[in-house]
Parts: sequence; C-alpha cells; structure tokens
Amino acid sequence: MHQGIAFRTAYLIAGSSSDAEEAAHDAFVKAFGALGRFRRREPFRPWLLAIVANEARNRRRSAGRRHALALRAAEEIRPGDAAPSPEAAVLGREQRGVVLEAVNRLSEEHRLVVACRYFLDLSEAETASVLGIRRGTVKSRLSRALERLREEVPAHD
Amino acid sequence: MIELERELRGLAAALDFPETPDIASNVRRHLPERRRAAWPWRIALAVAIAVLAVGAGFAVPQARTAILRLFGIGAVQIEFVDRLPEVRPAAPLGLGTAIDPADAPFPLLRSKLLGNPDGVYRRGDVVTLLYGTPERVRILVTEIAGSDFTPQVGKKLAAGGTHVEFVPIRGSIGPGVWIEGRPHVVLFPGGPPRLAANTLIWTNGRLTLRLEGAASLRQAVAIAETLE
Repeated sequence: MHQGIAFRTAYLIAGSSSDAEEAAHDAFVKAFGALGRFRRREPFRPWLLAIVANEARNRRRSAGRRHALALRAAEEIRPGDAAPSPEAAVLGREQRGVVLEAVNRLSEEHRLVVACRYFLDLSEAETASVLGIRRGTVKSRLSRALERLREEVPAHD
Repeated sequence: MIELERELRGLAAALDFPETPDIASNVRRHLPERRRAAWPWRIALAVAIAVLAVGAGFAVPQARTAILRLFGIGAVQIEFVDRLPEVRPAAPLGLGTAIDPADAPFPLLRSKLLGNPDGVYRRGDVVTLLYGTPERVRILVTEIAGSDFTPQVGKKLAAGGTHVEFVPIRGSIGPGVWIEGRPHVVLFPGGPPRLAANTLIWTNGRLTLRLEGAASLRQAVAIAETLE
C-alpha cells in the first residue's frame, strides 16, 4: 500500500513514529496539491516517495535528531508468520541480530541505502528519489555497504 | 554475497516497524473543502494514493496506471490489462442510432475548430459527433452525461506500451488523461469492443468528454479547450 511504504520510508528517515506519521500525512497533502504538475513521463511511486522523504528529513531536522533510527528486530513473531522450532527461532534470532547490528554500525548513508533496497524493497529508482541521489550512486553506495557488511559478518565471505 | 542479500531481505519481515497508522482518513480530513467540491476525482485520487494497494508484482513504471485503472476519469473507466481482448480489425464503430443534434438528451458541446459534425449518433446517454464518415473517421467526440466519479459508462482497456499522461485542460474539472501509442480497446454498453486511436478524456462539470483521433496531444487539447 502506498500509505504503508510511505510511512515506513518516513519512519526510517525521521526516526520516530509520530514524526513519520506527520511526514507521510503532509506528503500526501502536498502530493495532492502538486498533482497538476505530475505530468512528466515518470513513474508515480518514486515521485511520491521523494516528497515523503523530504518531509521526513525536515521533521528530523526540526527535532534536532542527528542520527537516523537504529533498526531493531521485533521481539515477537508477527501474526501470520510460520512458527519456527525453538532452535530455529534462537538461531534465526541470533543470526538476525548479528546482521542487524552490522547494518546499524554502517555509516548512515550506507545504512539508508541498504534499508531502502532490502528492508523497504524499493527499486533503484525509488531509492534514488528517496535519498536524493543518482541511480549510479545508489549502485555504488550499495555495493560498498555490502562489502562492509561482508567484512563485519565474516560468514558471508 | 547472495546469501547476505537473502538474509537482508529476510530481515525485513522481522524488523520492528511500527504499525502503519490510518493516514488516509486524516489526509481526507485535511484537504481543503473548496477544492474538494471542485475537484472530486482529485480528492479520490489523493486518497487513493494513500490507501490503494499496488500489487506486489506490479512493475514500478506502471504504478501510475494502477491508479488510473482503479479510478478512471468521470464516467469512463480506464483499465490496464496484460493482454487486450480479441477485436475484429473492422469492428463497427457501434456509435448507436443517427439522430438530429436537437434530439440529443443534453445540449451538445462543439468546437469551433471542428465545425459541424458530419453525423451525430446516440446510444443511451452517450452521444458521439462523427467527423468524416463511418468508413473513414477523422475525429470522434463522445459526450457522456455525468462527470461524477462513478466510472461505469465507458471502459477502455490498455496494455503495456500504451502511454498515459495527465494533462491540464482549461475549463476541465481536474486534469484530462491522454492515451497514445499502442492502440487500446474501447467498450461502450451495447457496442462491440473496438480498437481506438489516440484519445483524450476529460470532464467539464456535467459531461465526460472523449476525443479520439487527434493527431497530437497539442491538437487534442486545443479542440478540448474550444468545446462549448
């Protein structure tokens, strides 16, 4: 859903749930106001997400938050998830924790590009719009971030 | 490398993102009242942006068409499909019965750029002005009673490769939609499906209008803006 992806994108950048909600809300209202200008031969979602990301960055700046959110794994199995065996759950959780910690140790620009591509499942074009960078930069930044992660999580050499 | 990427993707489901709040309802409440009255389909579209799902397998370039598929313009629904239905190459226009313009169910709009039509046809609340002959159509202007956001009268089916663009039209309630490129299929109740040429669809407050056959977007908008 657009509101789901908009909210999560805003959350990732703004770093707080209430700021993310406000950012996504304001972005939708702004997108509404700007619909008349939406006539470029471009896909819709990157355009919308760029507005969302901009609002989220503004919120984060005004809140004086210098660093983006540290990502956390949910403690509980979400409804609808298949229940793993206790061993698998522990192993899975441990491995998840290792990877997630490594992601959180990345520089912010690396962490955001990883989060956009893998956690939000955004396309390269959408990631470029959200982060305000070129597609080529998305590629190179992601490649460096993955290299760094492989160093941090040696099992993935 | 691949395993790391797989794990990263797997991690997405386990991340502690807060539940998405109901942003759409708030957006609806905060849109200006005056514009809500004047731009009904834009409101619907704005809310749609917030609430409508775009299928997981939907290619990104088609995100905008997903919205069009669900909303249409005025009384015309635009639906994007993977494959167009079979259409006989020489399918009749299915415009309905030839009528005297004075017998139309509502006052007809005409463009001074086009002059008087060569024929006027009616099928229910759909009236079509034909320029040219049924065998050699130059331009078709279809006027449909109703501009409400209730797509139900006409339906257009377009496939990938058809270009769709929002265009501002003076005097129109909200932007129009320009469909060009690969032929699309047009369906009106009681008429056979047929392939359609470049088409502009817009609303003017009481009618949904459809212009087919203009050589370019510029010409289509010029005709649209002179309809009165």
